[in-house]
Amino acid sequence: MHAKTLTLVVLSFFVSGTVLAQQPNTSTAEDSLNNNTVKSSLLTNTTIGGYGNAFYQYNNNQKTAKVDLERFVLFVGHKFSDKISFFSETELEDAKVNGGEPGGEITIEQAYLKFNLNPNQYIVAGLFLPRIGILNENHLPTTFNGNERNYVETLIIPATWRELGVGFYGRLNNFPINYSIGLMNGLSAGGFTHGTGIVDGRFEGRNATGTNLAVTGALQYYQSGFKAQLSGYYGGTVGLRKTEADSLGLNSGVFGTPVAMGEGDIQYNGQGFSVKVLGSILSIKDADKINRAYASNTPKTAYGAYAEIGYDLLYRSNYGKVNAPQLIVFVRDENLDLNASIPSNGITDQTLNKNYVVAGLTYLPLRNVVVKGDVRLAHSGVQNSALIINPSPVALPYQTSNTLINLGIGYSF
Amino acid sequence: MLVGSLSGCATLPVYKAAVANNTITVPETIFGTTNFQMIQPKNQYYNIGLKKEANGTYTALLLKCTHADNQLTPVGTNGYKCDLHGSTFNNEGQVTAGPAERPLKKYTTEVVSNQIIIHLT
Repeated sequence: MHAKTLTLVVLSFFVSGTVLAQQPNTSTAEDSLNNNTVKSSLLTNTTIGGYGNAFYQYNNNQKTAKVDLERFVLFVGHKFSDKISFFSETELEDAKVNGGEPGGEITIEQAYLKFNLNPNQYIVAGLFLPRIGILNENHLPTTFNGNERNYVETLIIPATWRELGVGFYGRLNNFPINYSIGLMNGLSAGGFTHGTGIVDGRFEGRNATGTNLAVTGALQYYQSGFKAQLSGYYGGTVGLRKTEADSLGLNSGVFGTPVAMGEGDIQYNGQGFSVKVLGSILSIKDADKINRAYASNTPKTAYGAYAEIGYDLLYRSNYGKVNAPQLIVFVRDENLDLNASIPSNGITDQTLNKNYVVAGLTYLPLRNVVVKGDVRLAHSGVQNSALIINPSPVALPYQTSNTLINLGIGYSF
Repeated sequence: MLVGSLSGCATLPVYKAAVANNTITVPETIFGTTNFQMIQPKNQYYNIGLKKEANGTYTALLLKCTHADNQLTPVGTNGYKCDLHGSTFNNEGQVTAGPAERPLKKYTTEVVSNQIIIHLT
């Protein structure tokens, strides 16, 4: 029955060619919003949205190029009442998934129930994105410059980082402060992979261990076009039986073998300018124990930071117009080191000490459609020969610099 | 109850009010030092942004994002922002950044005996 009704919604969406805007029922005053047509309860209380992007990338070192439908995401939300609603994001990466073959991924990025407590506070429960960094919560391709997401919020903060748990969000009446705290499942130290930080330690909603937990928190200050945020994460990474953890030399328990992360960012938008500055640091104090157990060359500390400035070249000529085109020229400088410090049993890998300079144009003919062109200059340290095991006979020598040229499109609704 | 006039802060002053017969009644006197007020209806889940226009009328906007129904946060006196997907709206309720595409719900208002009446229909 539910499948049939959902199918009806999806068909209606494509037939109409428009977004099915959420149309609250008319039982309360607030629900009168947009109630200008008569629709069924399901249609009026169900929202569909989405985003996606595709891009062409030329690799100057390899003299090759790829074209990829990187993301195709559908939002489905449903309002059960003014107080309780549901929201989800389903994502297909790289357009196609074939069983047993690498590449492509279908994931549930978010699926949570939202409980409104009052106009200023709400609770979410389920698979949700904690407020860490900028991109984790707001990752629509129409909201960031460059075809690819920035590396700091991909490798240091593993956005989009979702786990199962409960989040409490609110804002103060009398001061321009937003706050949030969250409790969710922790990571898996056994999943950590050399070169990707904690990315592969995420459960992302699939069979997460529940005895190791994590807490997150964020504070935001906003003033006109200015916004500043501080956020943090602290969680255990070992959800094994105690005897098993002991045999591996790891600390189990709620916050055993912990990962800690701190983040701060500043954003400004005004007079056609947009500025983003973000820094984040990751600490794994028991990295030596993780390396002894899993031989993953896990670092003790990793950090990353970037600064970006953009200016809308059409701002002055379109001042005051609604949904006017934008042509943003931008430059971003990113620095990250995924093994800023390593434990005594680790091996330094300077290829993980990276710098990216990204510059380009972002053209939005209207605010939810984007055409992007950018050049990414990538630099890293030299390769450590101690880390090269069974080298491929056709592998090219490691190059510390590369240039990538990206052209792409994106949308959100 | 007037929580406070906070012209020095980026927040709008907040006035808590009860809903009766699908209306909210607000005294005009709360606009003594500001042209903006946040109305917090009791037992409801969304605030109302109330703005005094130059001609003496009032504009009331339901602060509910038209994209996915999230509550909106005032950005000083320069409009409203949704933290869920980043949509922003100006003081007239028009979308200034997506993904939202539709303007905020505007409620009818009238002034009777120095009382602003917001009709929630």
